[in-house]
Amino acid sequence: MISTGMYGIDDMLGGGIPDGSRVLYSLDPGVDGQLFMISTLYEALEQKKTCLVIIPHTTVEAFLHEVEHLRGHKIRPEEQGITFLDSSDRERIRRQAGKGGQMVNAWQEQIKKICTEKKIEVLFGYFDVLYEDLGLENGLSLLSSACCTKKSTVIVEHLNLDGDASLDLPEVRRAFDLILAIKASFQPLPHFNYFTILYTSWSTQLRRSVPFQVKSGHIVPYIPKIVVTGPPNSGKSRFVLNATALGVSVDRVGCDGPTVTTAMDFGWLHWQDFDITLYGTPGQPRFDAMLPGVLRNAMGAVLLVDATDREQLPRAKQLFKTIAKLHLPLIVAATKKDIPGVMGEDEIRTGLGIGKDVPVFPISALQKNDVRDVLECLVASITRIIS
Amino acid sequence: MIKQQMYAYKTGIPQIDMATGGFEAGTNLLLLAPALSYAEQFAYALTKPQSGEYAIMLSTNERASEVTDQFKTIGADKHYIGVIDAITKSSTPGVTDTERFMFVTNPTDLTGIGIKFSHMIETIFDGTFSGKESGLFPPPIRFCVNSISTLLMYRKLEVLYQFLHVMTAKLKKVEGFGIYVLNNEAFDERTVSLIKQLMTIVIEIKVERTDTYFRVMGIPGVNADWHKFTINNGQVVLGL
Repeated sequence: MISTGMYGIDDMLGGGIPDGSRVLYSLDPGVDGQLFMISTLYEALEQKKTCLVIIPHTTVEAFLHEVEHLRGHKIRPEEQGITFLDSSDRERIRRQAGKGGQMVNAWQEQIKKICTEKKIEVLFGYFDVLYEDLGLENGLSLLSSACCTKKSTVIVEHLNLDGDASLDLPEVRRAFDLILAIKASFQPLPHFNYFTILYTSWSTQLRRSVPFQVKSGHIVPYIPKIVVTGPPNSGKSRFVLNATALGVSVDRVGCDGPTVTTAMDFGWLHWQDFDITLYGTPGQPRFDAMLPGVLRNAMGAVLLVDATDREQLPRAKQLFKTIAKLHLPLIVAATKKDIPGVMGEDEIRTGLGIGKDVPVFPISALQKNDVRDVLECLVASITRIIS
Repeated sequence: MIKQQMYAYKTGIPQIDMATGGFEAGTNLLLLAPALSYAEQFAYALTKPQSGEYAIMLSTNERASEVTDQFKTIGADKHYIGVIDAITKSSTPGVTDTERFMFVTNPTDLTGIGIKFSHMIETIFDGTFSGKESGLFPPPIRFCVNSISTLLMYRKLEVLYQFLHVMTAKLKKVEGFGIYVLNNEAFDERTVSLIKQLMTIVIEIKVERTDTYFRVMGIPGVNADWHKFTINNGQVVLGL
């Protein structure tokens, strides 16, 4: 197994990339996604794999400088078992072989020779110039077992100017075990980058997009919004504060004593290689008008229910229905588990009208570990693999 | 419903600005010109940022330092100018990106060009590009490709067409103004007509003996007559 070098993504893939797999990182024009390929390259070198890097669009010197600038660490080709085919090799092949079939053969021979002589374990290829020179099928043939052994892992980066439909082509699907599309959008924010695992041959992946940021030379996936909601006094503010490294709550002390949240709770945390923002809603029905707005673009939700208060269940059910309409990954957390007389899981499920597909966690919002267990399950639901 | 007023990009050519009120945000303009016809200076005149604007030059035939010098000679504020240089890195691989100067190895690297372009747009939007805010949002951005002809020497027409399709669409989204220079005598009619399809407006330049002329096509209400012109201190000056 080879790590992608992006640990949140490794988890989504079930641990990383199985040896001998063919991987496509498909970049939309302009998206800041070069670090996907580079992170995997650094990881392969870290694991002391012998690597061939095909960079027909640039020179070795310029490439090494660029990756060092992006990542902050130098690659030392001689010491690290890395071989390059660069723009000068492309020019030589074009000059010597001319166009068409001869050029394909020349590339194949060159790659085969290096793979055999150097016992290449991982081949990295920047594909779009090869695609332009050789066409789709011939270009893909260079990266198949015709050139490198079946045991070799092949990682390809391609600038996708043809749009999403090209990634659904049978020849593309046949050629790769993992297709990861890296995209940019102006919605919901300007310069919003995200990736989608479109296909893996080794598991059934829920097709879900995850936003990412580039931070200090690393790809950091993030979950921009998880909504924490529930009836009043179910422990939402405490949940958010205990879940996060940095959190705030806007509370007012009520006439009868207890504090009541009168605006949003916010919290930020870095969890399982994801940056996550939590939004806690006030629980009173008078704030219900804002709930659909808060839930917009959320990637998951936690519904808190006070397990000691049966009278809360109808209100909690009402909130559950609002969330269920959006088909979001949802966890129910039954709070105050440490107080005697709490409802059991079955009673809560019946009261809320939920089936076994929605996890119910008995927790104490005062216990950080309990809160983290809920988040762990929710992050897994957001990014999960059904194997 | 109140219609939001779009930003208008002035060309500095009174006859065009008076007739149009300036080019609407999102306009992509093709500058078709033969070699030695002042097309480069014409492009600089159109790209020069006015007060509150930014300019990005994708340079496929001049180094970033030369581009800034050119802008300086026509009186542009360098703090509002960014250059994506596709020349320098091939001879100086160790050259490092800054906020305003970014480098790709050569014009083949469309992935790199696209990323550097997005980076510059992003820093302009978040206010870190020049350290000085323009005060306008979205910030008005002029973007010039100083030679599509050079890009066509490195990549196939079909690929470049798709790439420019994406770039022109992006520029529309950010409400910028795109200027693309193409030598119409170096390429066949199919190439020119394909590139034209991506554009809103075409300005064509011709040389007759020692005189240069331009005409504008694609603006409703503006006729496509030829106008004699010279370039003076970075300004397009119409002659008689």
